[in-house]
Amino acid sequence: MLNYFELFGLKTDFSIDLAQLSNAFQQLQKTAHPDKFAHASSQEQLLAVQKSATINDAYQTLKNPLKRAEYILKLRGTVMPSEQASFQDNAFLMQQMELREMIAEVQAANDIDAALLEVRTVLDSEYQQLFTQLQQLLNDDTEQSNQQASDILRKLKFYQKLQLEVDRLEEQLFDD
Amino acid sequence: MALLQIAEPGQSTVPHEHRLAAGIDLGTTNSLIATVKSGLAQTLTDEQGRDILPSVVSYQESSILVGDNAKGYAVSDPQNTIVSAKRLLGRSLSDIKQKYPNLPYQFVGDENHPSIQTRRGVVNPVQVSAEILKALVERAEKSLGGELTGVVITVPAYFDDAQRQSTKDAAKLAGVEVLRLLNEPTAAAVAYGLDSGNDGVIAVYDLGGGTFDISILRLNKGVFEVLATGGDSALGGDDFDLLLVDYLIEQTALTRPLTNNVERQLLKQACFIKEQLTSHEQVSVTIDLPDNKQTQITVNKSTFDGLIKSLVAKTLRACRRSLKDANISIEEVNEVVMVGGSTRVPLVRSEVEKFFNRKPLTSIDPDKVVAIGAAIQADILAGNKPDSDILLLDVIPLSLGIETMGGLVEKIIPRNTTIPVAKAQEFTTFKDGQTAMMIHVLQGERELVDDCRSLARFELRGIPPMVAGAAHIRVTFKVDADGLLQVSAMEKSTKVEASIEVKPSFGLAEDEITQMLKDSMANAKEDMQARMLKEQQVEAKRVLESVQSALATDGDLLSAQEQEAITKALTTMVQVAQQGTVAEIEAAIAEVDKLTARFAELRMDSSIRDALTGHNVEEI
Repeated sequence: MLNYFELFGLKTDFSIDLAQLSNAFQQLQKTAHPDKFAHASSQEQLLAVQKSATINDAYQTLKNPLKRAEYILKLRGTVMPSEQASFQDNAFLMQQMELREMIAEVQAANDIDAALLEVRTVLDSEYQQLFTQLQQLLNDDTEQSNQQASDILRKLKFYQKLQLEVDRLEEQLFDD
Repeated sequence: MALLQIAEPGQSTVPHEHRLAAGIDLGTTNSLIATVKSGLAQTLTDEQGRDILPSVVSYQESSILVGDNAKGYAVSDPQNTIVSAKRLLGRSLSDIKQKYPNLPYQFVGDENHPSIQTRRGVVNPVQVSAEILKALVERAEKSLGGELTGVVITVPAYFDDAQRQSTKDAAKLAGVEVLRLLNEPTAAAVAYGLDSGNDGVIAVYDLGGGTFDISILRLNKGVFEVLATGGDSALGGDDFDLLLVDYLIEQTALTRPLTNNVERQLLKQACFIKEQLTSHEQVSVTIDLPDNKQTQITVNKSTFDGLIKSLVAKTLRACRRSLKDANISIEEVNEVVMVGGSTRVPLVRSEVEKFFNRKPLTSIDPDKVVAIGAAIQADILAGNKPDSDILLLDVIPLSLGIETMGGLVEKIIPRNTTIPVAKAQEFTTFKDGQTAMMIHVLQGERELVDDCRSLARFELRGIPPMVAGAAHIRVTFKVDADGLLQVSAMEKSTKVEASIEVKPSFGLAEDEITQMLKDSMANAKEDMQARMLKEQQVEAKRVLESVQSALATDGDLLSAQEQEAITKALTTMVQVAQQGTVAEIEAAIAEVDKLTARFAELRMDSSIRDALTGHNVEEI
C-alpha cells in the first residue's frame, strides 16, 4: 500500500510543491474518477468510486498543512498527545483565554471592522510563529523533535479553531 | 508522436456506436433539454420551435398538461396548476408555508411529505417534476429518432441531499436513466470553458428563478476543479416578483388575503414589470381589481432596484464567503460567468461587475448555458468521447454530520470537500449491554441540531451486548459523484454489520417510489418485470463489453486458467441474458463479477500507477 505522498509521486516530506501535488491529483483522477466509468459495469463503477474517494482523501490531507503534518507524524509513529495535555500547559491556556476574550469583545467594539482586523492580525502572527517552528521540527525529524512537533501541532489546531470562530462571527455580524 | 493503434486479437475493432444522450436543465421557472449533434451542443425545440419549456404542470379533467399548454391555466385554475414545483422539492410543509405563504395549492399529507390535492388526485412535487422530465425526454426522442441511453440532469450546486435525492427520484418515476446529477454552475463552466479554452479561475454566478449558486472553479487542461461553492437554494428571480407583488398590493391599497386568481394575476404582472425594466426606465401596468375596477400603476427602475437591493447584497455575501473558502482573492479570478434568467436584471449585472471588478461573460444565452454544458457532459458519460480530456471534480455544498449528546452536530464531512468521498467516525455505547443506537444525520453549517437540516434517522440494531464504552461502532459516510449520501455502520471488534433502517426525513422512501411506478403503469406487474429484465440485460451487456476489452488489453495479468474461467462465465452470462429471468441474469453477472473482482482491482491500480509515471516522464 502506497502512502499518500508516494501515491502522488512526491517525496515524503513536509515541504511539498503544491502545484505538483495538484497536477498529480488531477492526473490520477483522470484515470480513476467514476465519470470515466459511467458506461462500465457496476463492479467497475463501485471500484472507481472507492479509488477516487481515496485519491480525494489523500489530496485533502496533503493540501492542508496541518493535516499533512499530522499525517507525517503518524507515518513516523509519533504518538499524538491527548486533548488532556493541553490543560496542563498553563501559559498556553491563559493565552487562549485572552484571545477568546478579545474575540468576544469584537461585537461590542465601536469600530467592528478595526476590531476584527486586530484580532486577525494577532491570530495570524502567533499562528505563523508556531508554524515556522513546526516546519523546523519536522525537518529535523528526530524522536524528540517529532514529539515537540506534535505538541506544536496541537497548539496550531487551537489557533485554527479560533480563526474559524472569527470567521463565524464575521458572517454573523455582516449577515442580515 | 502519434502511434498507430493495433487491435489485439479478440478486441473489437468496430467503432463505438453513437449513443443518444441529453442534458436536462430542470429549472424552477423554465426547463430545457440539449444534446450534442455532430460535435455541436444545441438545445432541442418542440414542434413550434420553442426550446424553453415552462416548468408548469396542469392537472386537467382529461389530461395532464405540461409547459406552455399548462401555463395558460396558471391564473384561471391555480389550484390544479403547479408552477415552480422545484421550490417544493425535499421541503417540509412548514418550510413551504413560511417561505411562500400565498401559494394557491391545497396541501395534504404530513409535515415532512407535503403533497397537493388536485382534481386528478394527490400529487407530490417529485411527481410534478417527473411530468416535466417526461415531456422533455419525449421531445428529445422524437427529435433524435431513438431512445435516450441516459441523461445528465442539472441541480443547483447548493441543493441539499434531500433535494438531490428527490430529483433523482423524479427521473426514476419518469423512467429515464440518470448518468449523473450535475451542478448547474459546473455545467455552465463547461459550456464556457470549451468556448474560451482558457485555463484559470472562473467564478460562476448563477441566479435562476428560484435558486442562487456561486461556484469558484479552477480550469486546468480540461479538468474543472470546483474549489468552493455556496448560495441559497431558496433565493431567485421569483423572490424579485414576490417583492413586486407586495409593492403592487401596497400601491393599489388591496389587503390580503386575496383570491388565488388575484394573487396569480399580480404575480404575472410583477413578472412582466421585472422583464420590461431590463430595457426600460419605467413601465406601467393595468391591474384588475376584485370589484371589476381597474387601476394603473407605474413602476420605475430605481423603485425596483430599491426593492431587490438587499437580496442582491445577500448573493454577494455568499460570493465573498465562497472566495474565502476557495482561498482565492478577487484579483485571482480570471473570468466571471453569468448564468440564469435573473442575471438579466440590470442591478444584478452592475453589482456583480462592481464586486468582481470585471465585466462578466454573458455571450452564451443565460437561459441555455446550463443545458448546453449538461449535454456536453452527457455525451462524454454515454461513452461517445472516449478520448475526451474533460473531467469535472465537484464538491459537496453543505457539511454533513451527526447528532451527538446535547443536541450538537458533529461534522463528519466538511462543506466543499471534493466528491466522491468516504469518511468514517467511531462511536461507542454509553450504557452497559446497549444493543441499539440511534443515528441522526444532518446537513448544514450550524452547531445546533435544530439549526441544521435533518436528512435521515438510522437505527442500528444487533450491537453485541458489552459494557459501556467497549463497543466500537464505525459509522461510514459515503458521498457519490452525484453528491448523494449513503451511511453504513459496523461494530468493529465483532465485525457485526449492524442492520440499518433508513427513514429519510424528507422526500420519498424507496418503496413509495416503487409503488408510484407501479401505479403509473397500466399493467403494473408485467411492465415492472419487463423493465427490470431490460435493466439486467443492459448490465450484462456492459459487463461483457468491459470484461472483453479488459482481457484484450490486460489479459497477461491473469493465468491461463483464470482467463479460461472468466471466458466460460462470460459465455454462460451471454446465454442467460438472452433467455433467462431477472434473477438468473443477476446470478450470472454476480458469477462474472466474482471471478473478475481481483482482476478489476489490479487493472485499476496499475492504471493509477501508470498515470503518474507517464506524467512524471512528461514533466522531466
